[in-house]
Amino acid sequence: MTYRAGGRPWLLTVTATLVTAAFLLPVYWMVNTSLTRPDRILTETPQWIPTPATTQNYTTALSDEALLRALLNSLVISSGVVALTLLLGVPLAYALARVPMRGSGTMVLALLIAQLPPSIVLAAPLFILERRAGIDDTYIGLIAADTTLTLPFAVIVLRPVLRGVPRELEEAALVDGCGPVGVLLRVVLPIMAPGLVAVAGLSFLIAWGEFVFGLTLAAEPAVQPVTVLLNAFVGTHGTAWGALMATATVISIPVACVFAAFQRFIVGGLTAGTAKG
Amino acid sequence: MNRSRRKPGPALPHGRTAPPRHARPRTRPLTARRRRAGYLFSLPGLLFLALFLAYPLLYNVWTSLHAVRLQELLAGSPRFVGLDNYRTTLDDPGFWHAVRLSVVFTVGSLLFQFVIGFALALLFARPFPLNGLLRSLLLVAWLLPPVVSGTLFRWMLDQDAGAYNALLRAVGLDALAHDWLLDPGTSLAGVIFANVWVGVPFNMLLLLVGLHTIDPELHEAAALDGANTWRRFRWITLPLMRPVSVTVLLLGLVYTFKVFDLIFVMTGGGPVDATSVLSLYVYDIFFRFFRFGEGAAAGLLLLLVPLLVGVVYVRRLRGEGEAA
Repeated sequence: MTYRAGGRPWLLTVTATLVTAAFLLPVYWMVNTSLTRPDRILTETPQWIPTPATTQNYTTALSDEALLRALLNSLVISSGVVALTLLLGVPLAYALARVPMRGSGTMVLALLIAQLPPSIVLAAPLFILERRAGIDDTYIGLIAADTTLTLPFAVIVLRPVLRGVPRELEEAALVDGCGPVGVLLRVVLPIMAPGLVAVAGLSFLIAWGEFVFGLTLAAEPAVQPVTVLLNAFVGTHGTAWGALMATATVISIPVACVFAAFQRFIVGGLTAGTAKG
Repeated sequence: MNRSRRKPGPALPHGRTAPPRHARPRTRPLTARRRRAGYLFSLPGLLFLALFLAYPLLYNVWTSLHAVRLQELLAGSPRFVGLDNYRTTLDDPGFWHAVRLSVVFTVGSLLFQFVIGFALALLFARPFPLNGLLRSLLLVAWLLPPVVSGTLFRWMLDQDAGAYNALLRAVGLDALAHDWLLDPGTSLAGVIFANVWVGVPFNMLLLLVGLHTIDPELHEAAALDGANTWRRFRWITLPLMRPVSVTVLLLGLVYTFKVFDLIFVMTGGGPVDATSVLSLYVYDIFFRFFRFGEGAAAGLLLLLVPLLVGVVYVRRLRGEGEAA
């Protein structure tokens, strides 16, 4: 489809810009509302540009200690998920990619199927089991639950990446007396860095936005992620849209940062993980 | 190699150019050592998945066959009741109401996501300045946490000060402007609208990858033969996009059927159950009424659709693998 470089490419740019702008109106509106004075928000003729812009909504939102606590919780949980996903996922993907084992085909299939269950179906038994094990209302319980979402997808994305690492390099290292763990750490990992970055970035985003496990497995505000807090805010401060949109913007900032930093890798990882399976 | 698998994979090296496996003789102990290392390497990950994914799902089956409510759970030994929980669920009009809503929500979302995503993919498949930047910006909608998107659309669809109603009034459609989510007649449409917004970038991205695999020479040849844009789209693009489209729709089906957060935040299932799709129904039974046995049964019924789709999807992948 990329055959016609001629024509009027600028006309296409204008069209695409208009479409993108219309599509992203809700995101613009979130930021717009968050910067509008509270008394000017609930009007029948909304302001399209906040004049004068105010940081009042952000001050209100961030003065709430519960929000700061929840942001910290989300950061801890998401970092934990990234660490656990890589720690378990890299060796598993390596074994499935490289080592001739019985049942590795079945395992790959199982990992594909593992991505199917709706979170709520898993949250229900986890709610009972984690309570029994005494890890409900803990970071550990939430990190473990979130990792069930990231680990299968991480292995599926990393396996083809690992296949691309030249075998001779590994074998040379093995012959030179390097153990299997040494080969993985010193030879394979540096080569697959881009794939690792993609998986880490996406795992972070998945954990940061996760809601169902946060809602069901954490009753204590001390460990609740920020998504659960935002939902509670919507219920209780239903019309304080300025502060609500400021909160929503704050939650979105890390998403935008991670995406901007790893954009190329993430898009590659996505298409590799889904279209290819 | 199947055509749809050849994509411009950025930053993902493929092993296909590597020399053949047995290019030089290998000693046996090396292979044995590798195999042992392989089992050791996969053990922690598999153990984790067994403990936190497989076991809970099996436990769900057990729960669904027992009379488990809060008291029984605390007391210890719930009674075996066979398929009673399934019967109760299937006799509940609320369950069938939820099934209907799930079907409407899924079909509505998929239809619009796919058509709009396809149109955008066609646009972005052509080269023009700022293409990459605009495409990335679109993806932001997909990456936002669903809770954020849900909050956002609650505000956009608000009765008096919501931006969409303001737009409707601005173009003279005052009659349409109302509280979309509080009106039981339009709340499901409002929720679908938001979910389409979330899903369009994902559809566009995958369809774009598909479009890039179509050989430009086909279009050039057809153009030389006098085929206009529509005919080339109808007789070249559409047929060649069929495999990718089926994959995108199957994935979309699984994702859409799962949706919980977005709806939960926007309407909580209301007003009066008008948006209480299956996932919310399961949540209510399990986490609000603490009827664990019935909740587990309903959850397993909810699992049926993704599992069926999964079987179809895996079959297709297998087919591709054999062709490769």
